Amino acid sequence: MDVDSDSDISLFGDEDPRAKGKGKGKASERPRKGKAKRKAKEQAYTWEASYTRSWDTVQEDETGSLQGSVEDLMARGRRRRLLAPASAIRRTIIRHLVLILDLSNSMMDRDFRPTRFDLALRYAREFVAEWFDQNPLGQIGVVGMRSGLGERVGEMSGNPQDVLRSLSDRAKLEPAGEPSLQNAIEMARGNMSHLPTQSSREILIIYGSLTTCDPGNIHETLEVCVKSRIRISIIALAAEMKICRELSDKTGGKFGVAMNEGHFKDLLFELVPPPVQQATIRNAGSGSGNPPADLMMMGFPTRLPDTSTPSLCACHSDMKSEGFLCPRCMAKVCDVPTDCDICGLMIVSSPHLARSYHHLFPVKPYEAVASLDDTSQSASACHACARPFPAAPSSGVVTEGISPLGRYRCPDCHHDFCTECDVFVHDVVHCCPGCGK
Amino acid sequence: MPSIQALSSTPLDIPHTVPDHALLPFLRSQSQNTLTRLYQRPSSCLSILRLLGPLQRQLIMNLLWLESAIPVSTMAAWVVPDGKKLYNEALSAVVGLHIIQNSTVKLALNPTFKSSLRQAITGGGTTSSFGVPAEKDEKRQPVGIDTLDAYALERWETILHYMVSSGQGQLPTKPSQGVLFLLQRSGLMQTTHGSALQITSAGFQFLLHSPHDQLWSLLLQYLHMAEERQMDLVEVLSFLFMLSTMELGREYSADSLSETQKAMLEDLRDYGLIWQRKGSSKCFSPTRLATTLTCLSPPLPTSSTATSVTTSGTEVSLSSTAGPQGFIILETNYRVYAYTNNPLQTAVLNLFITMKYRFPNLVVGMLTRESVRKALSNGITADQIISYLVAHAHPQMRKNNPLLPVTVQDQIRLWELERNRLKSAEGFLYKDFASQADYDYVLAYAKQLGVVLWENTTKRSFFGTLEGHANIRGFIERRSGAS
Amino acid sequence: MEAEADKPSHLAVIVDLSPTQWYLSAQASNPYPLSIESFLSQILAFLNAHIATKNENTLAVFGAFPGKSVMLYASTETLVDEPPPLDANSYPPFKMVDTTVTQRIFRELDTIDPGDEPPCALVGALTKALCYINRITLPSISTSVAEGSTNVPDPRILILSVSPDLSSSYIPIMNAIFSAQKLKVTIDVCKIYGPDTVFLQQAAHLTNGSYIFLERRDALLQYLIMSFLPPPSVRKVLAVPRQDKIDFRAACFCHKNIVDIGFVCSVCLSIFCQPVPVCSTCRTKFPIKALQRLKSACPSPAPATPRPLANLNNAVPRTTEATNHGTPGLR
Repeated sequence: MDVDSDSDISLFGDEDPRAKGKGKGKASERPRKGKAKRKAKEQAYTWEASYTRSWDTVQEDETGSLQGSVEDLMARGRRRRLLAPASAIRRTIIRHLVLILDLSNSMMDRDFRPTRFDLALRYAREFVAEWFDQNPLGQIGVVGMRSGLGERVGEMSGNPQDVLRSLSDRAKLEPAGEPSLQNAIEMARGNMSHLPTQSSREILIIYGSLTTCDPGNIHETLEVCVKSRIRISIIALAAEMKICRELSDKTGGKFGVAMNEGHFKDLLFELVPPPVQQATIRNAGSGSGNPPADLMMMGFPTRLPDTSTPSLCACHSDMKSEGFLCPRCMAKVCDVPTDCDICGLMIVSSPHLARSYHHLFPVKPYEAVASLDDTSQSASACHACARPFPAAPSSGVVTEGISPLGRYRCPDCHHDFCTECDVFVHDVVHCCPGCGK
Repeated sequence: MPSIQALSSTPLDIPHTVPDHALLPFLRSQSQNTLTRLYQRPSSCLSILRLLGPLQRQLIMNLLWLESAIPVSTMAAWVVPDGKKLYNEALSAVVGLHIIQNSTVKLALNPTFKSSLRQAITGGGTTSSFGVPAEKDEKRQPVGIDTLDAYALERWETILHYMVSSGQGQLPTKPSQGVLFLLQRSGLMQTTHGSALQITSAGFQFLLHSPHDQLWSLLLQYLHMAEERQMDLVEVLSFLFMLSTMELGREYSADSLSETQKAMLEDLRDYGLIWQRKGSSKCFSPTRLATTLTCLSPPLPTSSTATSVTTSGTEVSLSSTAGPQGFIILETNYRVYAYTNNPLQTAVLNLFITMKYRFPNLVVGMLTRESVRKALSNGITADQIISYLVAHAHPQMRKNNPLLPVTVQDQIRLWELERNRLKSAEGFLYKDFASQADYDYVLAYAKQLGVVLWENTTKRSFFGTLEGHANIRGFIERRSGAS
Repeated sequence: MEAEADKPSHLAVIVDLSPTQWYLSAQASNPYPLSIESFLSQILAFLNAHIATKNENTLAVFGAFPGKSVMLYASTETLVDEPPPLDANSYPPFKMVDTTVTQRIFRELDTIDPGDEPPCALVGALTKALCYINRITLPSISTSVAEGSTNVPDPRILILSVSPDLSSSYIPIMNAIFSAQKLKVTIDVCKIYGPDTVFLQQAAHLTNGSYIFLERRDALLQYLIMSFLPPPSVRKVLAVPRQDKIDFRAACFCHKNIVDIGFVCSVCLSIFCQPVPVCSTCRTKFPIKALQRLKSACPSPAPATPRPLANLNNAVPRTTEATNHGTPGLR
């Protein structure tokens, strides 16, 4: 019991930063450098592992308030959206992605909670679900890097359930050995070599190691990838490696080092919306400046009601009554979108196409209302959700892109919206409640 | 020899239907006549509707606007095959309340109920069942909702606090005589040898219930008492239902109430359901306890932390938004941190926790074997402790899955099992058999019947249950008679 | 199969209040004429019934007026200047709903310009309902007292539609449907007057709601209560009529024909019924080779069953033809 009490007392000492005077005194006791790595060894009890020092990441302002940090976080999100062009832009809608997971020993590091591996796996599942939601016509394959080899974890598939199933068995993916970037990339490239030109080919690597153990020259692999227009994005969990940076820079992908759990998720989910088609790739295409645009033949199937007579489906040979009929060969398939197993026609349903439209016609970003002087009459509540606006502007540091009044105005219909609705309209609904466009 | 149930901690079944509200069995026990009189008031119909399960409500709603009865088969055609059982249960429950008329061919609502509920929904009529608002009094400020909440809370906590601290000598303010009587009648407290009231084991269990359940079990007791006091049950019930449909923060006139209901005013004031300016006042205001009577899981702002924060001044606004929030953090090392300064909550925690430190807004304690055993011996079960901890878990705890550390949960259950190592059963000991063969023969017979609880061959004796005794005795007699 | 815990539900009702359509609906030549007044009284009874079933149930009503969408009532807001006086014979919340909704509807209808009538802002009302649901299901720091409760209601949306589909609102409606899916909001549709709308059929289908074409308009209230009052947990037991036949074929962008096999621009996903050299939406030129290949692959470029998607901008509805759709009523 005594031991227990002691540990509690020291815990309280840590827990209350005010008692220590803005946490500065603490820094001397516990050097921050390399803290994350050492923490694992310092732990006396396992329950300490679930114990994060969330206050280390926020900075108080002079008055000791956290308001500034919170607003800063929000402003960052808004500014990122403002960077996005408002007009219709060209995006790759039909995507093919190979997700490469690092399954090496370094993934067992515990600087991310609970371990790098568990977190990466969890986020990967969320990523896959969200990715299919936004790219219904896309396909994902999964490759693992373990013991110096590339392992095929999941075949290229357009069905989210298939991909999620391949990621669901944690025991099968238990990390071991060294990773090999080259082997994994070569395997992913092989998976995508047969794809048509209008679809994108992407590789996303979640990399926890600081080394790679390759059989040949990885720069040659890089050359081939550039040639076959494969875009490689890498999220490093440890630190930046020269080769990783080079891989993503040369192929037009993104590179990021995750600083904490939240940042890791942000980096990952930035890759969910379809990428803008880039000029470099277009030029590299057929040489004549001709974009890889194409007309695609697609079939819109007839949906069989649940009450129709059961028959065998063409894809699994299962007996079931519901399903979709290919309009060209009248074969029955279980789910859309898919390629017809008989005649190869791409079968989609119109909502699938519609799901991608918001990428092509985004809502214009709202303007932050700085003051009420310029308008003669202003609504007292949010136009969308009727939440009343604060009467007085909030004091504090005015950051760009944040309205002190909490009002954001649509440039078209000139209605005011609150912060939450601004985020909701742009991230989820993709349609302005004021002008309906 | 009293028989003790050995396996009291059977795993809780997930209920297939929402359990009935506590009041419904009481209503069902009333005569059709009483119920029909009750249904004459739109507010009663509305409140009873809200106490019913979702499926039952939908059945009533489906029938509400139909002019004629519809065949039973037509209604049954809406039910999906898997839902037949639930549907039949729901239907019989409503028939039991005489809301739907009992018939095997056609379904129709009780005409009184139908017209009253229609009236409730569309408004109109002259029943005044939603309470006659009091005349605006220019001289006096209308009573604020904060005042009402504080009053209701103060009343309610006085009752609970009295119960908690009864055993410990230092008695706080006593609730009124009526409340004490009610507590005694309901078996939550009792006097032993004419001494002061002592809390019973039922009372300890009562303390761990949610405020809403507590309120209803007291009111139910009140209703039983009302029957004995020759009060008109319909009047009592419809007054309660009327209160539940009133608007918080308004004053209502007491003039239109019947004599019975006027008498109730005083009782309900003691429970904190009603606020009055003074005892003889012509007006009354329902408190939140009253207006949320028909919520099934009401966000009673009067529970726990909301108030404890209020007293600390600066965070008043926050407390009202926060609503019913948990305040308990339980760690895997059996340590309990309770962010509260409410003496009642501290006292309730004290029932099963060894207190360590107290700070202005924090109480720290340990779940220990001794403290839990003390609670168990008071009649509290392990499940009740666990469900109390779950119900009042701090929002930070709610991120955990499972919510409570498994080790602690298991340990609490194990501590309970420790008490149940002895299992007693009534029965008969058979001994002094003349020969080993006799013994074996009778034993084999008893085993065939499956009534042997214990046997000892060397002592030539065995123990059989009470049920088997007649058979075994007959067997032995027949045998000895034969030989 | 167990009925889940009795959770409170939030109902957002979107009322289509196009004066023209309601005028047509009230014409005595219809099989069951329904005027806006009797419609409103039945709707109010339905709204009250929703609040009546559970104390914690919340309600929001949105009106889609020509060119404008308005929040008519919300449980957390006070939208009228002064609350109606207490009355011993009516339940205060019901009275509040009744007066607020009627007052605001008539105020809006009075301001409508009698001249040119723009189409009804159904999309605006739908997105507002979603924003409001988003607000109450994600209580944040700045929320007001009433919604601080921890038990968040199950949200649903009910659209009472009288206007025909508007082809220009296809994309916004689809966007709204997908965000409803994300928020786990069920969209129910009751088509009170006019022909079936394909967009709303899809909305109901994609969000697991039910689409009902009102055949007997004199029994509006009974339809509403039996089909749209039960929350999802009750619908597992008491089946609610669903639409089985839903058209998932797409209309081409060039002739608005329904196509079985279409040609889709890989850049902007525009659909064409035959191979075209230039995309009309994003002005992308397609390679000649691909055109030739497609032309040869497709012997009959004509759509399989040419028929209009819906009589879109055709304001005169045919009331007699639309009875074979939807199977509401008792099965």
